[in-house]
Amino acid sequence: MRLLVLLWSLGPLLWQLRTSLLRPEALVAPLLEGNPWTLANYQLVLSGDPPFWRYLGNSTLVALATTLLTLLLAVPCAYGLQQQRGLLRWGVGLGLVGAAMFPTVLLFLALLEIARRFGLANDLLALSLPYAGLSLPLAVLLLRAAFADLPTELEDAARLEGLGLGQRLRHVLLPLLGPALASTGILVFLASWNEYAIALTWISRNDLLTLPIAIARIGGGSVFTIPYGAFAAATVLGSLPLLLLVLVAQRPIVSGLTRGAVKG
Amino acid sequence: MNAAAGAGLELRQLCREVGGRRLLDRLDLAVTPGECLALLGPSGCGKSTTLRLVAGLDAASAGRVLLDGQDLGALSPGERQVAMVFQSYALYPHLSVEGNLELGLKVRGVAAAERQRRLGAVLELLQLEELRQRRPAQLSGGQRQRVALARALLRQPRIMLLDEPMSNLDAQLREELRPELRRLLCGREQPVIYVTHDQQEAVGMADRIALLDAGRLQQVGSPRELYADPANRFVACFLGRPAINLLTIAPGRQLGLRPEHLHLAEEGPVEARLLRREWWGHQQLLWLDSRWGPLRVLCAAEAPLPAEPRLGWQRQHELWFDPLSGARLHGQGPVW
Repeated sequence: MRLLVLLWSLGPLLWQLRTSLLRPEALVAPLLEGNPWTLANYQLVLSGDPPFWRYLGNSTLVALATTLLTLLLAVPCAYGLQQQRGLLRWGVGLGLVGAAMFPTVLLFLALLEIARRFGLANDLLALSLPYAGLSLPLAVLLLRAAFADLPTELEDAARLEGLGLGQRLRHVLLPLLGPALASTGILVFLASWNEYAIALTWISRNDLLTLPIAIARIGGGSVFTIPYGAFAAATVLGSLPLLLLVLVAQRPIVSGLTRGAVKG
Repeated sequence: MNAAAGAGLELRQLCREVGGRRLLDRLDLAVTPGECLALLGPSGCGKSTTLRLVAGLDAASAGRVLLDGQDLGALSPGERQVAMVFQSYALYPHLSVEGNLELGLKVRGVAAAERQRRLGAVLELLQLEELRQRRPAQLSGGQRQRVALARALLRQPRIMLLDEPMSNLDAQLREELRPELRRLLCGREQPVIYVTHDQQEAVGMADRIALLDAGRLQQVGSPRELYADPANRFVACFLGRPAINLLTIAPGRQLGLRPEHLHLAEEGPVEARLLRREWWGHQQLLWLDSRWGPLRVLCAAEAPLPAEPRLGWQRQHELWFDPLSGARLHGQGPVW
């Protein structure tokens, strides 16, 4: 059963990996003579102009900026919201759920107009502004729930010891929110990493493209064939950083789960 | 109560209302320096509410909190120099024992050398030296309670507040810790308020007990006063185990007789029938039926039982109440 689940979730990825390592002929005629394995697809992708790592760098920059900005804004929002009682908290929470579920596609024409008006096009850091805006509702909701899970007595104790709001956040609340911050951060990072529509419209300069756009262009580059191998190679290269990120961030999440609770 | 007027903690007409519900209704209380006052009552009676108002964690709807004559109303919890031991201990789970104790000092800008000195002293006082690197999760309940206490003492508070500090410990440990806690807390110069729902703990810890019910102060006084001279039926029923017998023997009048004040004899005004006996070691509790309804008698384990038992008691132990309001009726003579 466990194996089945593993296969279900890993299968497509492994297939992609296999595709990226096969010669194009081997893909269509699996029983061909000779060694079907090759690294040519990777060579092709990496030797493009600008080089592939450039896109990786672009996406990383945007995703990092987005994550940072989102968390910076979401933490005070979530804390403030959690302090409210009754109708206000309920209403704002409902509004956030609505905002989080709002289809992005309906926004991107308006966003394009904004980019033109304020000269934000072809600027990677500016691209993180709409990303952060779109991630914020969900991030606030997640972090508010995390704040709600913290025993209020912890903050009371800190208040009695004379810790101001900033000190309480820094020394008591945020260290305890580590796992929630990590998982929220990963979600935001992923959303920004994979975003397509806004990146497509905001960025036109070749050397500033983010990964999803760049990968899509590999397919668009040739008219008569679809370069499956190169596609797959780019996808594999594009997911490696994510894999790394999750592996690194997994530790605080797991350690957070096993940490001792307040009561015995 | 207090010779030096204004010294210590004073609550005046303190109220707290949340969403139209009165959690605390015009509470007047005074705690002198060095005195330990127990706030006792069933859950939801307003005792923790009172504590939070004194600490400044919640805002009072009306009334004042005075410390040595100074109104604390405008001060934030941090400025009040109040220490509180929480029921859950509220230790910071991500910090070691040392980190838990030091955080407040660090934030208040106490110099490192001074910090180490005070930390060392309090660790020694509470025998926590070997545990200083441990996280709260690695401590037993009793150890956590000591750390919480150490943190409160390090605060060098002007008022010490304890919110059911022992209710997470098992009964035996609770009894062992009571004298230690008393030694550490009471007899210092600051007033101590000790919240509990356990009358034994209140009697064991406190100089005086303030009994609350439904947000109202019922009576305040020494344990002996509350037991012997209860202000109303609630106080009489809440204090004393097994609970007092309430007998409606005439319209407009209710008689309270404690099980330990009743005895069985050959002669007496009321006959009784034995239903059941409970052995309590050196005592036994007798469940009886009489023409006044069922009642309990506590007597020595080896006390002889008459064949046709009749109830006897001394007149001075009679407590009379108004059956409707529960108010104590004084000077009511017997009717038989």
